[in-house]
Amino acid sequence: MKKVCFILAAAAAAHAQVPDSQPPASGAPAPAASQSGGSQSASSSGSKGSQQGFLGQDVPFFDPGSDIVQWNGKSWNINNNRIFEARFEKFLNAPEATTESDRDYNRLLSQIMDKLAPNTISAKSTDEAFQLLPQASEFDIDARLCDAIANQVYASWLAKRSNDRLTAANQSLEKERQRLEWNSKMTASGSSLGGPSSSDGAAVEEWKKQQQLKRDMEMQPLATRLAEVNALLKANQLKREVAELQVKIEFQALIVQHFLQRRFQHVVIGTRFYRSIFSDGDSLLRVGEDSKSLFSKTTGMPPTVGTLDSLANEAMRDVREGVQAFKFLLEKDELESATKRLAETFILGEYMPEVRTITRDDKRRALAFVQKSNQLISAIEVKDYALAEKLVKDLDVSAKDFDNSKPMAAIETARTVAAMHIAKAKNAAVSGDKTTLENELKSATEIWPRNPALAEVGGMIFSQADVQQRALVDFDQLLSQKNHRQIFDDKMRFIAATAMYPQKQEQLRKVLDDMAVIEAAIIRAQEVEKRGDYAGAWESAESAFLQFPDDNKLNQVRANLTTKAADFVRALKRAEEQEKKDQLGSSLAWYLKAQKNYPASDFARDGIERINAQLLPDAK
Amino acid sequence: MARRKKSSHQPLWIIAAIVLLAAAFLGSALFQSTGNDPFRTVAVLDIPAYLDNANSLRGNIYKVEGEVSNSLAWSPSSGRLIAVDVKDDTIPVLVTNEFNAINIQKGQKFIFVIEVDENGVLKTKDLSKA
Repeated sequence: MKKVCFILAAAAAAHAQVPDSQPPASGAPAPAASQSGGSQSASSSGSKGSQQGFLGQDVPFFDPGSDIVQWNGKSWNINNNRIFEARFEKFLNAPEATTESDRDYNRLLSQIMDKLAPNTISAKSTDEAFQLLPQASEFDIDARLCDAIANQVYASWLAKRSNDRLTAANQSLEKERQRLEWNSKMTASGSSLGGPSSSDGAAVEEWKKQQQLKRDMEMQPLATRLAEVNALLKANQLKREVAELQVKIEFQALIVQHFLQRRFQHVVIGTRFYRSIFSDGDSLLRVGEDSKSLFSKTTGMPPTVGTLDSLANEAMRDVREGVQAFKFLLEKDELESATKRLAETFILGEYMPEVRTITRDDKRRALAFVQKSNQLISAIEVKDYALAEKLVKDLDVSAKDFDNSKPMAAIETARTVAAMHIAKAKNAAVSGDKTTLENELKSATEIWPRNPALAEVGGMIFSQADVQQRALVDFDQLLSQKNHRQIFDDKMRFIAATAMYPQKQEQLRKVLDDMAVIEAAIIRAQEVEKRGDYAGAWESAESAFLQFPDDNKLNQVRANLTTKAADFVRALKRAEEQEKKDQLGSSLAWYLKAQKNYPASDFARDGIERINAQLLPDAK
Repeated sequence: MARRKKSSHQPLWIIAAIVLLAAAFLGSALFQSTGNDPFRTVAVLDIPAYLDNANSLRGNIYKVEGEVSNSLAWSPSSGRLIAVDVKDDTIPVLVTNEFNAINIQKGQKFIFVIEVDENGVLKTKDLSKA
């Protein structure tokens, strides 16, 4: 019975629903897709029997096992449908229908049903109930459904009255038919008086022929009239039956429509009026085959008005029970079950007073759970597992019966798989495997786009890349400025940055080799200086300076030593100046003077040898 | 009185004699010194000027006295190039082949008559032991 109610309820709810989204691509974590997946399979199976029929489409079908509604070859999950969600949330936010007007309306419907109840119904109570219908239809919540019933009742009465007139006409025709039959009979029996004597056989024969002809002539109009009367009788009978059948069909269609609209009170009112009007015992539903099968498949019997009546009463009882269960579960803080029961009850008995009078505070509690549940579904659909985890924790606290196994399985699975991809990406980044790095990051992003760890790793890798690029730019700039000292001081950074660029690596290697020479010269000069041999220290610095004149530190050391070995340096410099002027004699004199100051001087010795070679080319 | 007058003139004669003796000694010494220098008429080389700008001295002839400090090179065609210490400076002197007969060794003192050639080289024109 419950299943039947769901079927009918879903039929109406389906008007407001849109097709369930297609399931996500394979590879996505399971739970979010499970509902959609279910809808997909249901959809495929449901679409097989697609055919034109009741309401121009398939008969809707609701599977309580998977919460899937099928209609017109499409499937919806009632728990994951934006229109249903919107409608349900609107209901949860609406105030309870406990105003004076609501109470009056409910009272009116109850009065109508009471007056039409089988144990109290009479012609008078039927009329009274009929008079209450226009009053009930004035309420906004009624949506003029009572008016529709009243119209249908009135039309039925008119039809009945027309039938009465036809019956009276038929009675007159019947009398006429009887009279005609008697007259015909009398005419046919004829009169034997005044005939010729029986001795004259020919005359008797002639006379009989004339008598027969006379009877035939007299019978002719009577027979014609009798046939006409019989035809009229049959026509009137047929007309009456057709008229009654048409009214019945209209009435039944209205009742079925109310049933599908989940206006169960109106269904009960309609069926009771129907029975009072058509008391001939013929209550068989004369609706389309699809609609008929909607009921017959569940009851196993041909549907009748009584079937609708009992289904409606059963639905109302189910709604009452659902509301009681909701309230009880709410008291126990079992919000998940409470919300599910309320959703089911809402689908079935959206217009029932028991549902409409649920207090707003109770509904708001359910609403909070629904909103978080919907948010959780959305978070899992968009793979925002961090938010999903937070919502699961919140729901765990607020709803004692919340089953977190599915969302947590999704979250944990996503986290584990994403962590594996991120670990691989890190390894690839360290080993410089750009392709693997990109692939692993892509995989990790697809699994968990808003993974905080992903952002962290991505940021780290990108900042590393940024640092590397900046280091390369700095390296090029310093190289163009011949600022090898800066490169040497920051060598670790540039070694790391140029690791993947062989050409730059070679440039860096040359710079560092040169700097090693400079550093060695500086150290050597400083060591010699410590011994008080300023000229020797200066010569060491000068040797490196001639090769690397752009190094600031070397220049500084050389400048310091120049002041300390001023005479020696001056002699050398004067020697070089004179040498450049081709004043070889003076130059040689200065070299000799420098050598006298610092006998171990390489510069002086080289200068002397050079001048000697010029002065005495053939010297031995 | 007379005796007293005679004794007052004796110190003057003694002083005069001393002065004469000193003058004689100095004159002898001066004669000795100039008498050993065979190139006393040749101008002495201005070493600082030479070191500063030998071009300004080019073509001139000077004498220079110094101690041989080192032998720098020897060319069969040009002669010997030696380093001569003159006071605090050391100057190169090219002793041409015409003086090959003279032994020139480190530590010996010579008076060189030199000519400043176009390269500023001091080319020996004459020499004698100091």
